[in-house]
Amino acid sequence: MISRRTLLRGAGIGALVVAVPVPALAAEGFVPNVFVRMDAAGRITATVPRPDTGQGVRTVVALMVAEELAVDPGDVALEQAHGDTERFGAQGVANSTSVRQLSTPIRTAAATARCLLVTAAAERWRVPVAECTARDGAVHHPRRGRAPYRSLVRAAAALDPATVPVELTPQDRWRLLGKTRGGRVDARAITTGRTRYGIDSRPPGGLVAVVARPPWIGAVPDTIDDAATRALPGVVDVLPLIAPAEGQGGVAVIARSTHQALRGRDALRVTWRGGTPTADSRAWLADLRAALPAQSPVDGLQRVFEMPLLAHAPMEPMNATAHVRPDGVTIWAPTQDPGSLRTQLARQLGLPASSVRVETTASGGAFGRRIEPDPVLEAVACSRRAGAPVQVLWTRADDMRNDSYRPMSVHRLSAEIGPDGLPIRRAHEVVTWPLTVLPIFSNPALIKASGDHFPYSVPGDVTVAVRPAPLRTGFWRSVYAGQFVYAEENFLSEIGRRSGLDQVALRRSLLPAGSRLHQVLDKVAERARWSRPPAPGTARGVACLEEYGSAIAVIAVAEPSSRRVLRVHAAVDVGVALHPSGVRAQVEGCVVDALSTVLGAQITVREGQVAQSSFGDYRWARIGQTPDVDVTIVPSTAPLGGLGELAYPPAAAAIAAAISGDTPVTGMPFGADVG
Amino acid sequence: MARYLLRVNGERHEVDVEGDTPLLWVLRDELGLTGVKYGCGVGLCGACTSHVDGQAARPCVRTAADGAKTPITTIEGLSRDGNHPVQRAWRELDVAQCGYCQPGQVMAAAALLARDPDPDDAAIEEALRDNVCRCGTYPRIRAAVRRASRIMREER
Repeated sequence: MISRRTLLRGAGIGALVVAVPVPALAAEGFVPNVFVRMDAAGRITATVPRPDTGQGVRTVVALMVAEELAVDPGDVALEQAHGDTERFGAQGVANSTSVRQLSTPIRTAAATARCLLVTAAAERWRVPVAECTARDGAVHHPRRGRAPYRSLVRAAAALDPATVPVELTPQDRWRLLGKTRGGRVDARAITTGRTRYGIDSRPPGGLVAVVARPPWIGAVPDTIDDAATRALPGVVDVLPLIAPAEGQGGVAVIARSTHQALRGRDALRVTWRGGTPTADSRAWLADLRAALPAQSPVDGLQRVFEMPLLAHAPMEPMNATAHVRPDGVTIWAPTQDPGSLRTQLARQLGLPASSVRVETTASGGAFGRRIEPDPVLEAVACSRRAGAPVQVLWTRADDMRNDSYRPMSVHRLSAEIGPDGLPIRRAHEVVTWPLTVLPIFSNPALIKASGDHFPYSVPGDVTVAVRPAPLRTGFWRSVYAGQFVYAEENFLSEIGRRSGLDQVALRRSLLPAGSRLHQVLDKVAERARWSRPPAPGTARGVACLEEYGSAIAVIAVAEPSSRRVLRVHAAVDVGVALHPSGVRAQVEGCVVDALSTVLGAQITVREGQVAQSSFGDYRWARIGQTPDVDVTIVPSTAPLGGLGELAYPPAAAAIAAAISGDTPVTGMPFGADVG
Repeated sequence: MARYLLRVNGERHEVDVEGDTPLLWVLRDELGLTGVKYGCGVGLCGACTSHVDGQAARPCVRTAADGAKTPITTIEGLSRDGNHPVQRAWRELDVAQCGYCQPGQVMAAAALLARDPDPDDAAIEEALRDNVCRCGTYPRIRAAVRRASRIMREER
């Protein structure tokens, strides 16, 4: 029986509309999300409540709806939800939850629509419901024949949903979900250049703004001479921005075209005050090191790991478009969280939420950066001043130098080694910074909860000390797990190497028999032919992680002399892989992040400024450095798990262990000065 | 401001811009060809890769004045129906994640295959070396270029 909270509307207009609340918000009362709708002509539209930042949620929504309604994915039109948490529930792409939290409500909504259509057909034909089946956009009966959905919509919408039992299509009867064929629903638009990202939003009469940003961290404009700028063609206005986000300020140049805005910015003469013009990330690292307690609680082998600043650097630089009118505001943004953005804007602008419209565009990557609203706040300020729609565009250097970076951290790992070479007691002492974009992330317990997923049966403590962050820090794929797991797995690898133990056998012996990690570790060892010795000149690294409701083991094979990674194998247990190609894609993406950050990408600060400005010096991996990635999806009876961030921490650890050969890993990037 | 006559995707367009305007912004802002993506503006990331006189080129480091000299093809003009072998191979192998860099990747691959119909991995990696994909779709890109090469061979 469907929940009382399921909403049906549209009987009066001959359309079928089914909505089911998102569980995360169900406790707060009824949440009428419009998820699935069928019009009088039988056309199906599904709402995608969360943004697609490349993780593929639009594809999974289309597959779920098509599966339950027994149609092709191409028969499901997708509508990207605007920001509205009352209608759509939580809309943030965070903590690898998109598919996990949407799967039940969306499948239930579509299954409800199917069951109502089947019931309507059975009533019309005066046959038992059990004799009717839905297939290919119609209800079928062995003797009565076939009734297309469109002929049933009106009758189905008139039924009382509380009287119709709803069953989800069981997994063993899936035609689409869990199958290897079938790619991204937006693939044609992407490969023909028709996908509209935030940067492609240009409402009629729209202007463009670029912002002169601080030449060192925390500086604000002191004097502004904009005479030369205002004399340039196309320049409409110049506007000081007072710290739209913490630690940020600047001078916006609003112009008719992007090039005119960029030229206008070049012509500005601004002096700056405040901030930290001498800041240096090497000194920050020394401060973190100095904050380690004098003595570790465990005597034995000890190693200190240093982790760098990292930037998000999505391919689509930060941007947002706003149109502020007397009666409200419309935003077009590649945001990771349109619902919270709308709530925050309404509060900040003193408007009712109904006067704030946030249109979610496609997003050219996000990786945690687009949870934050700073480009949107800049666009609002510019549009209010200009009285027209304004797109604020960050250049690549703006993006790289004004990010919310992954925090630096220092990790001291200690282990007492038993007579058999295995660790018998351990300590992991962490000193790091909070995430300044979310104040609760200054709580050491929360940082520990984010980072600490040590799965091996070695007793010991993890302690976290938090130092004030000297620049803006934020959520970066896997959050603190990226640093913690890298240190822990590399330390375990060093213990194994010193004790002459097999790295897979060592981990197996420390994992509970029959556990999910045990299974994925066995599978990846088989895929990587672990039992055979590595080829001459090559070395291997292994690492595991259970988090987000999923489990993964990774083996990397590399040539230490050239630091070339030859192959990466991963075995994942995600419970149910709804879109296997998408599952593999997320693992492949995490592996490239891992490769990039282990081989050389890091952010450094010199003389108060981030030294890197583009992909020339923030050394993200290129195609020639990237090996093939072999991903095995392990059959599982576990509930649906999350995946977007799972593979990054163990892939980074396994790659570092492989390229390091016999050299102990002491930080990231491998073999580089950190900071 | 000055007038320039551009030949883009087989059509003639007259634009009125400053001569030093990067071709990227002419294509995007003046002609509405937003499939040409801004990623870095300095020729380092390849997101705007298009064809100039049949060769892969970076409109972000060329000017409107340069652009007036030779015919230009953007992702929007690569094929009439979106079914260039490279576009089909990209869909078959489900290459894209966020998709933002993919128009540039597709254009770089199409230019490579036009001059070298059967590239080995080294040639693929050389041709696409400076096309950054932040989602990490490189293994699928490599496989899709090989697949596109096979499609072209089969259909010749």
